Amino acid sequence: MTTRKLRSVAMAISAAALSVSLAACGSSGPAGSTAAGDGASMWGLTGGNQPVLQKSVEAWNSAHSDQSIKLDFFANDAYKTKVRTAVGAGEGPTFIYGWGGGVLKSYVDADQVEDLSAFVKENPEVKERYLPAVLKNGEIDGKTYALPNNNVQPVVLYYNKEVFDKVGAQPPKTWGELMALVPKFKEAGIAPFSLGGQSKWPDLMWLEYLVERIGGPEVFANIAADKPGAWSDPAVTEALTKIQQLADAGGFVNGFSSIAADSNADQALLYTGKAAMVLQGGWIYQGMKKDAGSFVTGGKLGFTTFPTVEGGKGDPANVVGNPSNFWSISAKATDEQKKAALNYVKDGMFTDADTDALIASGAVPVINGIESKLAASPDKDFLTFVYGLAKNAPSFTLSWDQALSPAQGDAMLSNLDQIFLKKITPQQFVSTMNATIGK
Amino acid sequence: MASTTQLPAAPEAPAFTPATPRQSSSRARRRRPNLPGGLGGWLWLAVIVLPIYYVVITSLKNQAGFFTTNPMLPPTEPTLDNYKLVLENDFARYFVNSVIVTLGTVIPALFVSFMAAYAIVRGKGRFVNWTNNLFLLGLAIPLHATIIPIYWMITRAHLYDTLLALILPSIAFAIPVSVLILSNFMRDVPNELFESMRLDGCSDWAMLWRLALPMTKPAVITVGIYNALHVWNGFLFPLILTQSPATRVLPLSLWTFQGEFSVNIPAVLASVVLATLPLLVLYIVARRQLISGLTAGFSK
Amino acid sequence: MTITSSNRRRARDAGPSGWLAAPALVFFLVFAVVPLAGVVFLSFTSWDGLREIRLEGLASWTTVLTDPVTGNALLVTAKIMFFSFIVQAPISLLLGVFTAGSQKYRAALAVLYFLPLLLSSAAVAIAFKALLDPNFGLGPGLQVPILIQDWLGNSDLVLFVVVFVIAWQFVPFHTLIYQGGVRQIPTSLYEAAEIDGAGRVRQFLNITLPQLKYTIITSSTLMVVGSLAYFDLIFVLTGGGPGYSTRLLPLHMYLTGFKANDMGAASALGVILIVIGLGLALLLQRLGGKNRNDSQLEGA
Repeated sequence: MTTRKLRSVAMAISAAALSVSLAACGSSGPAGSTAAGDGASMWGLTGGNQPVLQKSVEAWNSAHSDQSIKLDFFANDAYKTKVRTAVGAGEGPTFIYGWGGGVLKSYVDADQVEDLSAFVKENPEVKERYLPAVLKNGEIDGKTYALPNNNVQPVVLYYNKEVFDKVGAQPPKTWGELMALVPKFKEAGIAPFSLGGQSKWPDLMWLEYLVERIGGPEVFANIAADKPGAWSDPAVTEALTKIQQLADAGGFVNGFSSIAADSNADQALLYTGKAAMVLQGGWIYQGMKKDAGSFVTGGKLGFTTFPTVEGGKGDPANVVGNPSNFWSISAKATDEQKKAALNYVKDGMFTDADTDALIASGAVPVINGIESKLAASPDKDFLTFVYGLAKNAPSFTLSWDQALSPAQGDAMLSNLDQIFLKKITPQQFVSTMNATIGK
Repeated sequence: MASTTQLPAAPEAPAFTPATPRQSSSRARRRRPNLPGGLGGWLWLAVIVLPIYYVVITSLKNQAGFFTTNPMLPPTEPTLDNYKLVLENDFARYFVNSVIVTLGTVIPALFVSFMAAYAIVRGKGRFVNWTNNLFLLGLAIPLHATIIPIYWMITRAHLYDTLLALILPSIAFAIPVSVLILSNFMRDVPNELFESMRLDGCSDWAMLWRLALPMTKPAVITVGIYNALHVWNGFLFPLILTQSPATRVLPLSLWTFQGEFSVNIPAVLASVVLATLPLLVLYIVARRQLISGLTAGFSK
Repeated sequence: MTITSSNRRRARDAGPSGWLAAPALVFFLVFAVVPLAGVVFLSFTSWDGLREIRLEGLASWTTVLTDPVTGNALLVTAKIMFFSFIVQAPISLLLGVFTAGSQKYRAALAVLYFLPLLLSSAAVAIAFKALLDPNFGLGPGLQVPILIQDWLGNSDLVLFVVVFVIAWQFVPFHTLIYQGGVRQIPTSLYEAAEIDGAGRVRQFLNITLPQLKYTIITSSTLMVVGSLAYFDLIFVLTGGGPGYSTRLLPLHMYLTGFKANDMGAASALGVILIVIGLGLALLLQRLGGKNRNDSQLEGA
């Protein structure tokens, strides 16, 4: 009897062992290469800055083979979906790409990112290279947790000059002018505004700027500070009402809520002349330069600041958008990885070659003393415009979805989507969002 | 048990082939052409084929052609550049990952399910009954609702972003249906055969492989294909349990290509075609097995 | 074989050892039963995916049950379940009967009908996203006004588009099930009806439908329970939008857990999902009388 029992046990064990050994073949594949390997790892975003970052890291790796960095790229939405999961799993990259704000704060609260204050103090030249207003977005409670890594990205109103000439229109300076343009373009069979509504965050740019123009930067500062009832500010309701009025008038392109900004379909509508204007981030200039070169180099792309709102309190020079993207260093990385990472931040980033490549791609690096370089660029009109915006802005509000906590950001984007579709009223939006304060 | 009557008991008769006597007599029966039926049939064909046609012709267009030509007309100058682009973007790696995960799941799942089915069919006692009931319960529960604890376990076991992270829960999720179908088939093996082997002094282990396996081979293949299709096309586990391109599987790669190729829709659709090709080849060479695998245990 | 005679006698009495079921059981316990308990446990905690898991009592449940989005997700789930059932069931039944016919062209059509089965949900979603694009898709390309709709962006329309795409993907599977069922109906029944002068419609109503009773139950159960698993298709196709109009329960769970990073609330949603799945499966089993096959409960 005992023999039999033993046999059965042995059978079960060998069976289990066999199945495990079979399963184990799964991990011996290419998977091994990324699992918290030896070198530092870095995740970047696809799009305009991808080649610049790639070259920068390649240059670093060939000069520092002992501190090489493994670089992978992800599309924006996929990256945002997954990076937090990875960081939560303790398997995030050494370099965590970010926007500052609420997401960075949640990493800091969970001790997932390194405090870089001491590093910045020891290496003052790192701190000094940045525009001070931008650098601030990587600080939380006076400590530095993230350092800017690319270009300043204010939200800009782009327009198609050819289309404007065709209908004989001027870019809008005020909200009233903007509304008056809508029927003009519609009659010509052109959508007044392109909008990547499926990605939801392009919707937000409208709310950000309208609230900024109507109520000034304090309105959102209160929301970000989790003050109870902060969404009830009349500026928010007025902004939402204006958005719905614009949607009612047919201001946004047909089918805007199934257009994905991630696939650049919104820009495509602008440069193919199907839409006259688009409110988008500074980064799409690079995208259009790449995808529709002659449209940009031929001077058909126009750009201007967001119109003022009659009677609004906000300074017309104020800007919303992304001051920059940032690198944080994972607290879970090995000491060696951290060392390599910091060395790259110190010596490998914003080299002359990096800066030149960024400028050549149509971006404005977030560093001091580049005016002459910008002026020498073929894209100087856009670059100096953006640099001026960023430098002269009394206030530069970070994109709200990044500034707020992930839970608030998710609720805000979904509810705003419904505002654009007129599924809810501004009042409903305000009360729903007030309920998320502090979450 | 009544269930035996429903499953494809005859090993040589996969679900797809009609029995021959029926075929001849029904031909006699259906003399008049069925006009509405035929019409509906062709209509549905259009519904099925149009999107596939669109995907294939678009994948052969260049991007300029995509924006400017009629979307339903084939390209005037077909190009394979999109396929080249997809292949250059590590498609082979994702394909290999998918193969590893699929085989790594299906083979162990079949192995343990087959043993369990044998124990359930041939065995008696509370333990066996209890196990069987547990598996039956597993069929009724939408197991993907447990993804959060699975994510937690995988991260704590330091398996996050490995192929093993996909394989282990996939095996567990494949077990209930595999055991059910295999045990239904195994009940059809005549008891006398087991008895005579036992009298010859064969152990359970020997009977398992020398008698039960050959007698239920078609069922094993069917269950294997069924599980393979599920794992091959699975999306939720890869989405949550893996991250890097090194562990990306095909369905997830389609989703990421979408972002990486941006407005290059033809290239995105080329990746759809390429990801489907392996199954299409399987469908062409082994249609009957694939079809019976698709409906394993649900038809007949 | 080295088994002693006493062992052999004992083995005959007790059947094979239940330990053969152990490997399958262990996998299932670790990766299905433990997570099942885990999701219940996590629903009483608060966890953002980064920090420590904290016990919070009923806080997550209060959040979930008072959040109007939960009610909306349930409503969307119910709508998709209902509409995909009433669209898919008749089409699959009729196509099943149609393809079971013996005419050569029907068999040829059937080969094409089953093509969608080869595509993963992600592939189907990407294909339809391109096809339905309001500016570069099918409608504007063909210049057919009725096709120029904002299919995926119009919140009144999108639900039906989703139901259609689901039908496109899953009707073939159910057609296959019905085809198998029809082929099992004894031909003699039709021959007798033919002699009685019964027409095609009467034959269908009096013979085909009653004979397909169990097939109908199987297929319907799969359709209803399966709609709790439409995650990947909708995730890629609409992401739950516009607004919340296609955010059904599994997707809401995913977005709550992995986008809003509220794992506690997401676990509570997971528990709701499990309870609904279990309840539906039991209800349908009761409605359909004793099932001939428990595998009907498997969500395909």
